[in-house]
Amino acid sequence: MTGLPAAVPHRVRGRRVAVDGPLRLAAGGRETAVAVQFLRECVGRGLDAAWTWAADDAGPPYDLRVLRHLPPPAERAGEPGELTAWRTGYVYGALYHRRGPGFVTVLDRRDAGTAARLTLDHPDLLAAFDRLGEPTPLDALDAVHQEAVGLLAAERLALVTDGWAVALPPRIRSWPVPCTGI
Amino acid sequence: MRVQLVTMPWHPIDLPSLQVGLLHRLVRRARPADEVTEFHGSLRWAEFLLERSAGRLRPGDYVSVGSDSIFHGLGDWVFSGALYDDPDWGTARLRDYAAARDVFIDTALDMRPYAADFIAACATEVLATRPDVVGFTTTFMQNVSSLALARELKRRRPELTVVLGGSNCDGPMGHALHRNHRFVDHVVRGEAEYALPALLRHLDEGTPPVDVPGLCWWDGELSRANTETRRTVAPADIPSPDYDDWQAALEASPVLEYVHPKLVVEGARGCWWGEKHHCTFCGLNGSSMAFRAKPGQRLWEEIDRLVRRHRLLDVVTVDNIIDMAYFRDFLPRVVESGWDLRLHYEVKSNLTRDQLRLLGESGTVHIQPGIESLGSRVLDLMDKGVTGARNIRTLRECENHALTCSWNLLYGFPGESAEDYDPVIDQIPALVHLQPPSGAHRIQLERFSPHFTDPGLGFGKRRPAEMYQHVYDLPEDELADLVYLFDSEDAGIAGRAERRLKEAVAQWRAGHPHSRLLFEEDGEDLLVHDRRHGRPHTTHRLTGWAAAALRRLEEGRTESALHRLLADDGHVVSAAELGEWVRHTFRLGLLFRDGPTYVSLPTWDAPVRMPDGAAVAG
Repeated sequence: MTGLPAAVPHRVRGRRVAVDGPLRLAAGGRETAVAVQFLRECVGRGLDAAWTWAADDAGPPYDLRVLRHLPPPAERAGEPGELTAWRTGYVYGALYHRRGPGFVTVLDRRDAGTAARLTLDHPDLLAAFDRLGEPTPLDALDAVHQEAVGLLAAERLALVTDGWAVALPPRIRSWPVPCTGI
Repeated sequence: MRVQLVTMPWHPIDLPSLQVGLLHRLVRRARPADEVTEFHGSLRWAEFLLERSAGRLRPGDYVSVGSDSIFHGLGDWVFSGALYDDPDWGTARLRDYAAARDVFIDTALDMRPYAADFIAACATEVLATRPDVVGFTTTFMQNVSSLALARELKRRRPELTVVLGGSNCDGPMGHALHRNHRFVDHVVRGEAEYALPALLRHLDEGTPPVDVPGLCWWDGELSRANTETRRTVAPADIPSPDYDDWQAALEASPVLEYVHPKLVVEGARGCWWGEKHHCTFCGLNGSSMAFRAKPGQRLWEEIDRLVRRHRLLDVVTVDNIIDMAYFRDFLPRVVESGWDLRLHYEVKSNLTRDQLRLLGESGTVHIQPGIESLGSRVLDLMDKGVTGARNIRTLRECENHALTCSWNLLYGFPGESAEDYDPVIDQIPALVHLQPPSGAHRIQLERFSPHFTDPGLGFGKRRPAEMYQHVYDLPEDELADLVYLFDSEDAGIAGRAERRLKEAVAQWRAGHPHSRLLFEEDGEDLLVHDRRHGRPHTTHRLTGWAAAALRRLEEGRTESALHRLLADDGHVVSAAELGEWVRHTFRLGLLFRDGPTYVSLPTWDAPVRMPDGAAVAG
């Protein structure tokens, strides 16, 4: 049992995960949030995900660079340049979070050459971050948590599209070797 | 009394000084009326370089000179010019030394011109707090920067009391530091928990510190060295460190964005293995080998307090060896916390699979198991207490539990021969999927090691390591007391065997990132996917007793023991048939052979691998 979300059909062999159908990361809304959660959980478990970008989709309604820490889609002819850039720039552990007593630390190295460290310790922010572990419709959140989600999105720690939100940094459950590499 | 505690370059800039943190709390507790402040000169130096070089000399350069050049003394040399009031002091000797050894010195050369101004700026900042006593802690390459600042402080304010302590002051080294540097008032030799408060009492009362064990002090122009005590500090008397000032200094520093700050804790002092069998090359425990550990509950409480206070989840332990009781009363508490800690620990190599699993589960994912060699005879020569087969098992389990394993392959032990290395070197291509050593290094002669204290072990001729010629302006007989590393005649392998070993290790390192050798269960069969560098990619299918045999060999067995185990498990196989299978499987590189013992090499898991230095400071 890998504990990966079942909402995305997939097969696992060793450390490789093969996603059965294309992922619609450009669709926005729930479908995108679910796909992001799935890829995020693969990273957190140190699994290598093989997946394809839904060919018919146009560009996403958000800056694709926020996903640079997730495994990129398989290469295909004529793909948009931003997918190629994602693949060439992908580094394991470019964004992740860790849990401590009453706080969460985030390391963000999605922008090459920078390393931003954030500590989330405000209860409302933490609660919103925890909630976004699962894809969440914004209208299910109260005003305080909606505001917190806005702050997380501004820091590029949450993806919000078409009324759905999901947290972006995986929780690292399996350290790479060397563990100091991320 | 105002006491300022100082840590100078090249203390690692991502870590607080445990010594400063301990002594800060200790002095405050013992002397509540005193004012205790800290000066993080190491951090200041990284900032100074960044600013004065307009961003050219960065924290990554600090690390390359400060941590990576310990065996060449480059960091000390950077400050020798400031200590001796001569910007060119030692430069010609350093250049000759570097040319003869092909050592890269450009970064150190770049830094040297900033050193004198830095020391002057430090003196101004330290004196601004109007301290009565300035205490320096010195280990590894902190001597020269500390001496340079101490000298400048005493030049500006002669009535100030300067105290040195730390590992570099242990035994005769402390006395030599004292008697050769008149501006150092006192040197605390050995542990400071009892000695420093006793010294401060004498300073208060104006009495000569004749009764402070181990202390060096000036009796007029005569350097006195009190007899060192055999009494060690009890764990209950070792305070929990205070890192508030360090965190404040780091968070205000432009260096912060280049480093990954970590907490430093201490569970134990001394070495329980060394008490029984002192590894022949190791001098790390100095004059106090006696092993003492805090109870696991207390260590956990310290970590709990520090993590909550500083909001940091990376923890480095300074223990030279983990207390085995911690597998019962410390690591399970770490697991229970549910926190995503990342701990670094030095351990002994002969841990069980369950113990290694517990390390991984607790977040103790960076271990230093002191592997040192993969050949049992060489391990015997160093009195390491493990076999080559056992070390291979440890390396394999590190893959299974995603543990980062830092280790060196050491050679040059008196009595070793090429015959001890050839079987290991021949097998290194089969090990390429396991974490390689940082390199193959000839051992150095370290003070306090059995090799040093007993010239009969093979290192009869010795002199202070040549690097000290570009570090200290002192005669050789004084250096012989002051330094930690010595040159001696080479022992053990040389020539072809040495070259073969180094080449094999270099190829191991080069081939490792893309090498895997993985088990997979397929019903009752066992698959082995061989994706190792230098071999055709293939998958072996093992069935029946062969699958059972390869799994049994995970623990390391002789052929006859394996035969008995298989028979006990109900497998029918003749000794001859099994022997043929063992030889065949060995030829496939699926087994490591250590004398009569075979160990299976495939792993059940393979962690994500990162390129070397992926997250090192820029």
